[in-house]
Parts: sequence; structure tokens; C-alpha cells
Amino acid sequence: MMKSSYQQSVLRSNLFVVWNETVKNIKSLLAYPAILVFWAVFPIFWFIPFILQGQAFVGGLQSASFAQITGTGEYVPFIVIGAVLNSYVNTLLYGMGENIRKESYQGTLDYVLAAPCNKAYVLIGKALSESVSSTIFAASQLTISVVLFGMNLTLGVMLPVFFIVILLMLGLYGMSLILAAFSLMYKQSYDLSQTIGYVFYIFAPVRYPVETLPTWAQIFGKLIPLTYALIIVRSFMLLGTDFSAVYFEVLALLIIDVVLLVAGFYLFSWMEEKTKKSGTISHH
Amino acid sequence: MVYDKESGVFSIQTINLTKRFAKKKHRGVFGFLRRNQSKNKHNDVTVALDKVNIKIRPGELFGLLGPNGSGKTTTIKCLSTILIPDEGTVTVNGFDIQKETAMVRASLGMVVGGERTLYWKLTARDNLMYFASLYKMHRRHAKKRIKELLETMQLSDRADERLEDYSTGMRQKVAIARALLHDPPILLLDEPTLGLDPNFARQIRNQIRELSQKQGKTVLLTTHYMDEADQLCDRVAFINNGKIVAVDTPNRLKAMVKEKELVEVTVYRPPADIEKHIRSLLPDAEVVKLIPGDEDEGNPSRIKIIGGTAEEHVGTIIDALRQKNIRIGSLNVGVPTLEDVFIKLTGAKLTEDGI
Repeated sequence: MMKSSYQQSVLRSNLFVVWNETVKNIKSLLAYPAILVFWAVFPIFWFIPFILQGQAFVGGLQSASFAQITGTGEYVPFIVIGAVLNSYVNTLLYGMGENIRKESYQGTLDYVLAAPCNKAYVLIGKALSESVSSTIFAASQLTISVVLFGMNLTLGVMLPVFFIVILLMLGLYGMSLILAAFSLMYKQSYDLSQTIGYVFYIFAPVRYPVETLPTWAQIFGKLIPLTYALIIVRSFMLLGTDFSAVYFEVLALLIIDVVLLVAGFYLFSWMEEKTKKSGTISHH
Repeated sequence: MVYDKESGVFSIQTINLTKRFAKKKHRGVFGFLRRNQSKNKHNDVTVALDKVNIKIRPGELFGLLGPNGSGKTTTIKCLSTILIPDEGTVTVNGFDIQKETAMVRASLGMVVGGERTLYWKLTARDNLMYFASLYKMHRRHAKKRIKELLETMQLSDRADERLEDYSTGMRQKVAIARALLHDPPILLLDEPTLGLDPNFARQIRNQIRELSQKQGKTVLLTTHYMDEADQLCDRVAFINNGKIVAVDTPNRLKAMVKEKELVEVTVYRPPADIEKHIRSLLPDAEVVKLIPGDEDEGNPSRIKIIGGTAEEHVGTIIDALRQKNIRIGSLNVGVPTLEDVFIKLTGAKLTEDGI
């Protein structure tokens, strides 16, 4: 009885940490409303040029050669899905490392690290707040797509899509923890997150079908969680398939998530210990 | 040596606490291509804390005094588990800082780094609620405690304003409220009055005194304000170059130079050899120390002479300064302070500005 009550208390206190960390980050973000406006409008500039470029190349909104490769001739939803999922990469990879760097710079990191709570829950809270902002940006992109290009979104499709987005985010949390660990040690993560973002952009099928890449690049792309998320989501939304058609990709995404999360938490703890020994933890 | 009669445990105890930092050498743009030429690894290391031994009793207000870079903040960071010591044993509230880290953290409240260490885009209440969660406080209890602390700190009226709209002193009060949130038995206060105007500094000192005397909290206070340490602390330790050079009550420390008289002269543009010159004229003086000032900032240099008879010294000093054409600002004869004790023990000065 005592044990059960204690466990409940531990669970509640951990959830309280996650909640407050998330709220703190979102409130801090809302203190700069111009950022929200920028992120709500920015996606238009990101994918409209490619749609216009496609129209100029194929002379319409359908392409027979594109249909041969992907199974659908409509390239506009293909590009929109790529843009929406890639925006999670941009915000999550950049967000976590920058969040840690900012905490270090303003001196609050020492207080977070000196508190008795489990730091994993602080990191989960940080990841959740980044997910909330990422999802807001993604929703704004989808809304723009529905209004401007008449993209068809139904609840039946969106639920499994959301599940895959969560799996994508778990893998990205793992990567962002790795970046946050580097941020602890080297006090910068921006350049690394930008580089990784561009690698994803090229080797994952963000703008083009994976089949257009050379074989070696396709193999490399198979190591990236975004590749599987894009294949699965496009399969659901453009080809109308269900999980049975993409179970291999879902399984691969799950395995990559586990590997990245374990590596991320391990590396972060290791770097925290290392910087506490070297004395660089408080540097910025 | 064990003090606490009931538990037999010191609130804070360090045994041979040692912390070293690697020196970073900038070897130019292509420096990473060059091999490290240094043959002696010890030359590449700064010893920030060198076998520091401190024992602080429960309920004691203990001052750690030293100049910038002496090891005060490193000591506090080791105690608070932000840094891992290289050698030595440290216990806080009876818990080993490396083996029982969570218990150590729960036993401590700290004010390190001042007003910058809060979230300025959040309100005082939001800041405190966030840190309450990190200390595993129940939400309902946290809300009540935050309300109490905001009232104590006289911040209730502005509790829901962002900290960016607060003054430095108000933010420091929030930082102290954060340290008290979980009602820890031990407080680590690193320069809590640094940069505050006299009114806020006085308020903070009163609160520290109250925390120690009325609430029975153990306080480790680092400061380089001598008067502050003298007024507040039950005992004081001097730290210089990472080593503890003396530990005692302020009165006993001052007694080391109490029987001596102090002559302090403020001077403008003294030559570098003036200290040596005066020492040669006053062979019976125990301490002759030139403390350079910043005349552009309105702080002239000071010469302190301790020992011998002030009455005899004054004439000699004035003659010596006149011979060197040095302008005298003021001359005082008085009782030595803690700073004078520190100068006598280490030959170094405690402060940059000579407060």
C-alpha cells in the first residue's frame, strides 16, 4: 500500500516536471509572437516555388512519369507531405540543442542540473514543447495546402498519419538528444543540426521519390527515420493503403527510434558527467 | 570534531576537496594540426581547489571570503553537485555528494550567479512553479509555498509580471525565494548582494540573518564584502588560490591584528616602488600594502600599514609621500578589519574596488 502510494507520487512528480518544462518553453516561445507569425507564413515560401516549378516542367498538376515511379500522378500532395514532415526535422533537431545552449548561456542550466528530479523528464518536457510547436507549424502548412491546393484530408487517414508522425518524432528526439549532448560539451549545436538537416533533405525522399536517388544513396537514406515516415505517410495519404502494406517500414522506423533514443539518453548522461568533471558544464 | 549533538553530523564537511581545471591554450587557426609540445602535464592544469577542509555546523552562518578566482564559486559548485571533485570527500547534510547525489540536491537551496539565472520571459510565479516541479514538490503545496515566499519577499503585487520588468534587486529576491522553495536545511549563497543598491542589499542581509537565526538554516555565504561577512557570519574562512588560509570567528580573526594599529592613506598615482620605500622606512611595520585603485572611477589607490605605533608612523609616511611628490587624498588611523587580516595572512587584497 505504501509502495503503491509512493510510486504514484513519483509518477505524478515526474509528470509535473514534464508538464512544467513544456509550459515553460511554450510560454517563453509565446513571448516572441513574431516567431509564430514567421513560422505560420514561412511554409508557403518553402513549398510553393517547387509546385510552380513542377507545373512549369510538366504543364499541369499531373505527371504520367511521376505516376510510374510513385503510383500517383499528383505531385502537389507529394511535395506538401515532404514539406510538412521535414518541418519536424527542422524544428526538433534545431530546437533541443538550442534550448540547452540557451539554458547554459542564461545560467539556468546549473539550476536544472542541481535539482533532485530525474533529468530525463526535463528532456522529455523539452522535446514535448518542441513537438507542440512543430505540430502547430505542420498544421499551418496543411491548412494552407487545403485552402490553396484543395488537398483532401480525412480523419480516417489523419489518425494513422499522426501515429507515424509520433514515431518520427521519437527518432528525432533521439537525434536531438545527441545534438543536445554535443551542445553541453561544445556549446554549439546549430551548425551540426543544420548539416544533419541538409543530409536528411538530400538522402530522404523529401522533394523527390527515393527511387530517383542512386543505389548507394538509397541505402544511406534507409538509415534515416524521415525516409520511412515519408514512405508510410505518402502510402496512406496518396495510395490509400493501410499498415499491412507498410509493416516493414513501420518496424524499421521503430527500430531506428529505439536505437536513437537509447543512444541519445546515454550520450547526454555521459556528456553531462564529462562536463561536470572538466568544469565546462557552466561555460557557454 | 563532530558538532551536532543529536546526529553527530556536520551540515557541510569537506575533506581534502580538490578540483583541477585543464588550461585551454589557443594555438591559432591551425593549432589543432600541431602536437602538444608541453612535456609537463601539470603545467596545463589550474588547481582551483587545493585540499580544502571545511566543517560547518548545523544552523551556522559560515562565510567563505576570498578575492575573485580564489575558489569560492568552485567550492559552491562542487557542494551543489554541479561539478565533480577530482579528489576528496564531501558530505552535505550527512550525504556523500558523489554517492547520494539526489539527497544532497534535496538538502540544498542555492543562489549562484544572481539574477541572470532565472527565466526573464516568465513571471516570478511561473519561475517559482517551474523550479518547484524540479524539486518534486506537490502542485498544491508548491502554490501555497510560492504565495508565502512572494509575500515574505514583498513581491506579491508584481508576482504575475515578467521578470524582464523587474529591477536587479527584485530579481535577486526571486532567486532567493527559489532557493527557499523546498525549505532546505542548507543554503549556499554565492555573492547574494553583488550589484545591488544599498537598500536592497540591506534587505537581503536581513533576510539571510533571519534565515539563520530564526529558521535555523545552515548558510554558506561567499562574499568579498568584508562588512557583510563581519556583520552576518558566525565563522569565516579565508580562501586564496584555492587554499583555506584561516578559519575562525570574525572577532578572533580580527584579534590577530587587533592590538596593532592601522594607518590607511589614500594616494593618487603612486609609483610602483612606494610600497618598498615605505617598508624600508618602517622596519617595525608588519604589513605595508599598496592596493591599486581606479582613479578614473573615483577610487584612489590605498596604502595600508599595520603594526608598530601609528602616531610614530604618520609623520614618516607623510614625509615619504611628499619626497616622492605623491598627492595624498586622506589619512586615517583605525582598527584593522577582516580585509587587513586577509592581507596580513596572504599578502593579497580581497577586493578589486577595495570595499
